[in-house]
Amino acid sequence: MLDRYKVLLARTALVASTALFLSPLGAFAQAAAPASSSQSSSERATTSASKDRWLHVRVISSDAKGETVRVNVPLELAEKVLPAIHQDRIHDGKVKIDNAHVNDVDLRALVDAIRTTKDGEFVTVQSNDCEVRVAKQSNHLIVHVLDKENSKRSEVEVKVPMKVIDALFSAGKDELDLVAALHALSAQGDTELVSVKDHENTVRVWLDSKNVTD
Amino acid sequence: MMLLAKAALTVGGTFILAGAYTMREGVIRIDVDEYRTGGSHVHMWVPAAAVPMALHFVPYKQLRHASEHGREAMPILHAIVKELKKYPDTEFVEVDDHDQHVRIRTQGTRLQIDVDAPDQKVHVLCPLSTIEDVTIQLEERGPAA
Repeated sequence: MLDRYKVLLARTALVASTALFLSPLGAFAQAAAPASSSQSSSERATTSASKDRWLHVRVISSDAKGETVRVNVPLELAEKVLPAIHQDRIHDGKVKIDNAHVNDVDLRALVDAIRTTKDGEFVTVQSNDCEVRVAKQSNHLIVHVLDKENSKRSEVEVKVPMKVIDALFSAGKDELDLVAALHALSAQGDTELVSVKDHENTVRVWLDSKNVTD
Repeated sequence: MMLLAKAALTVGGTFILAGAYTMREGVIRIDVDEYRTGGSHVHMWVPAAAVPMALHFVPYKQLRHASEHGREAMPILHAIVKELKKYPDTEFVEVDDHDQHVRIRTQGTRLQIDVDAPDQKVHVLCPLSTIEDVTIQLEERGPAA
């Protein structure tokens, strides 16, 4: 009787050790699943954690090649990565500009003036060729350009929250604080920042809480 | 019979531990196919845990040389990888251009890069923790270290 138990025990040990020995192969097979077999992006489309803010860039070209570019960047990631870049003019999340006087315009003073002024239109140009409008509206700086020259009409709209512009210029003299600007941007609600439309390209840059483009 | 069972358990146990350690971080998968005359075809599966281990056997001089070359990129890469871990299964870059497709995304805790073009296909799947380990090691052996 004792021998029978010994044999049974030995067999059990053999089976168990064989099973355990083979178990990493399962993990290997799982890990080696073809990349292409992953779910499609649409299936994975989810709204990320409540606090995550995503900057999206989408370029759609309507030419023969039909190029499409989609970039999704979590603002938190950009905020953490930018300070690690130390190249040329970028250091510690700040970009150096030669001086704040670009073409004899004191940018800092200009931003200060825009911040303190009330909502309104600063620049309005209307001609047969183009329309330009620069305005402050609901604490956003809005730049709208409509190029009507030729038949190839193009339209550019930039809408930047004033808080972001303030943060951008919050660094020392002759510096733009990109990290501060991104941080200020992350506090904003869903918004479209840049929209460019012409006869062959559509460019959109916007901010929301989704980790995928629409 | 008992002796055989004990031997099997010992050998099996050793293999399991070694296998589990090696496979704990999955595998690095690299597939490169160049569709031209003399084009290379590389298909490589490497246990991810083996890479940081293998780095310990790379001569110090060579590693320092590599570290010097990537000195500026290492902190950036390290920061990116550290952050990417927070975003599993996310599409970061997607470019579709007629017959060329580029994807950069995370698949769980792995970084996946796919390039499909008529003349070449490149597919890379690498655990983020492995990239992090490698960048840490290269940073540690850099000139400033």
